[in-house]
Amino acid sequence: MSAVPIPPVPIGDYGLLGDTRTALLVSGSGSIDWMCAPAFDSPPVFGRLVGGPGAGSFRVGPARPSTLVSRRYRGDSATLETVWAADGGRLTLTEAMVAEVSGRLLPTSLLVRRLAAEGQPVEVEVHYDPRPARPRECRWSRRNGHLVCESGPLALSLRCEPTLQLEPGTPVRAVVAPGRPLTLVLGVAYGEPLVYVDPAAAWELVAADEARWEAWAAEIVSDLPFRPAVVRSLLTLRLLTYSPSGAPVAAPTTSLPENPGGVRNWDYRFTWPRDASIGVATFLGVGKTREAGSFLSWLLHASRLARPRLPALLTLMGRTVPRERELAWPGYAGSTPVRLGNLAAEQHQLDGYGWVLDAAWVFEKGGHRLYSETWRAMRAFADLVAARWREPDAGIWEVRGSPAHHVHSKLMGWLALDRALRLAERHRVSRGRRRRWEQARAALAAEVRERGVDAATGSYARAYGADDVDAALLMLPLLGFDDPASPRVRATIDRIRSELSAGDDGLVYRYPPGRDGLPGTEGAFLPCSFWLVQALALTGRRDEAVAVFSSLLERSTPLGLYAEELDPETGEQLGNFPQALTHAALVQAALALRDTAGTGQGRGA
Amino acid sequence: MDWSGWALFGLMATGALTAVMIAAQMAGFTRLDLPLVLGTLVTPDPDRARVVGFFLHLIAGQTFALGYAWTFALLGWSSWWLGGLLGLLHGAVALTLILPLLPGVHPRMASHRAGPSSRAGLEPPGLLGLNYGVQTPAVAAAAHVLYGVVLGLLLGAR
Repeated sequence: MSAVPIPPVPIGDYGLLGDTRTALLVSGSGSIDWMCAPAFDSPPVFGRLVGGPGAGSFRVGPARPSTLVSRRYRGDSATLETVWAADGGRLTLTEAMVAEVSGRLLPTSLLVRRLAAEGQPVEVEVHYDPRPARPRECRWSRRNGHLVCESGPLALSLRCEPTLQLEPGTPVRAVVAPGRPLTLVLGVAYGEPLVYVDPAAAWELVAADEARWEAWAAEIVSDLPFRPAVVRSLLTLRLLTYSPSGAPVAAPTTSLPENPGGVRNWDYRFTWPRDASIGVATFLGVGKTREAGSFLSWLLHASRLARPRLPALLTLMGRTVPRERELAWPGYAGSTPVRLGNLAAEQHQLDGYGWVLDAAWVFEKGGHRLYSETWRAMRAFADLVAARWREPDAGIWEVRGSPAHHVHSKLMGWLALDRALRLAERHRVSRGRRRRWEQARAALAAEVRERGVDAATGSYARAYGADDVDAALLMLPLLGFDDPASPRVRATIDRIRSELSAGDDGLVYRYPPGRDGLPGTEGAFLPCSFWLVQALALTGRRDEAVAVFSSLLERSTPLGLYAEELDPETGEQLGNFPQALTHAALVQAALALRDTAGTGQGRGA
Repeated sequence: MDWSGWALFGLMATGALTAVMIAAQMAGFTRLDLPLVLGTLVTPDPDRARVVGFFLHLIAGQTFALGYAWTFALLGWSSWWLGGLLGLLHGAVALTLILPLLPGVHPRMASHRAGPSSRAGLEPPGLLGLNYGVQTPAVAAAAHVLYGVVLGLLLGAR
């Protein structure tokens, strides 16, 4: 494998296809450079994105140099359409994964890619090169017109109609004439027999799936500002939700760099209880109760073994995240190491409890009564917060240094106790326990106001005694800890805007660059930038919020996707992609704009 | 066959098995909750499901005890270790056959093929119930061995 980094495809050039069990990233040239199978957190079958050419890819597209004309998702669906001008005609690649396979004789994962020409015949190229990670080699065979790769329990079958003599790892050319499309169907089986699907039948499955996604999107409430962007974010969130367990995967990739060429490369193919909690409020806010309930249900089951401790992250099935290890891969743009597993799983993060209890409160407030079992779990979390809030923690940003007294964590600890007390008004709890929570909440609030405020600026600080600020504090107006109109909340928001600003358009860093002990820098943090929108909207500055939101929407990829971070100068997406937290923050920002419409400012959005 | 022994000791053995499973759950060894899994066949509320599931579990335990009683009667003898061996076999069948097949019939259990329209809330157990924690196979095996030992000790070979 070459050690020399190849100029990479920009992260923002990739589109997402998914079936809610796994997902893939496909570039504007039609190359699938990332796909794990059979699940999001399985080893990659196509891993070129961070593993270089030797890690496999699957390209279909024009054989000769061509011009990308357009790229879009078809309507409110998960079907991607790419159009090139080539050979004097037009070539359209329409592709999707089939999400609904339950109850039918279909493979667990089914990818359909169709090339259609218009105007003139177009010469196309198919380069199919899967490289299952364990073991590295495929055992190849041809059966019933399918090219089959077997690698341990994993089996892939590729069928092409009209028939092409496909050769694994070798580009094969063909001419697609107008009215005679070329359809490729890739089926994936894991530990079970392959199911061969006829390309014509597979195409019908894509059409049916497309209609289902459209119907799903049509159920989203209609009064959302910037609706197309919000619906695309919700579709992305749903595509990143692992249907077998209901867990939202933070991102479908590992080790896409926050600093190209640097070491800030992490494995995000896990679930953070924080993300699931944010997802509860996000889906509830747009009328998707089932998805909200599913996240809460996952939280309940996944946290069962460690309770009352809430792990910072878990696997999609609620297991302990495997120990972090490094792959000898060249990395995206030479960004090494490529990591599997995530060390942050072992950290104590106080804020997680606040997110979870707030999600339970939002769920109950929305008219959905918590089951007694859920309430018992929430009680246990509140007990733990009441007992441990005085301890330092790793904080929301999972900095791998010494724990500190992060003000945001303390505020979220306060939130956990406050929401537990609100829930206690509707559920059974002993007087002694309630008193302990009340005392802890009061003591926590007093300590934060005494030690968490920077006297010079009158704003909350990043940590006790620190002179800098943390963009996570943009959550302040939502908590009910201080009046959103209070000078301290305003001072904190203004300070974040000025000291953590990454540009004029509302992009902010999550903390002052260079303060995390890692070499290199990172980009503007997109979830925080959307939290800024939310904070501005909720503190009576809706016009500013709308302006920032509009600018941020212009920073999305052409397909409406976001990574975790963005290079404020080049506009390049940075970090794992697409990122569930960013899309959830986008939706929550839009909800804040909706909820503050009619407050006297900026009704236009 | 020892019918009266079957009626009484089947209940006792199932009670012992349930106690081990609940203790293991409380200790954080496994998330496998048999009464919940069985009860959610009937109701989505976890608390109610556990009550219903407990009785369904008793019925299932009693049914399996019938197999033990027949085996003892067929062999003409019984002992705690023979019961334990049968329990081990029983546990292996539960982990490798019954649990993995459940998503196919359980209306509230997702499968690894679940898609966006899935309304199932319970995660699938996976191979050997490993999705419910890595110690699940050991806990389930221990509980079933105890079930068999109780029956082997108390059931006559008539």
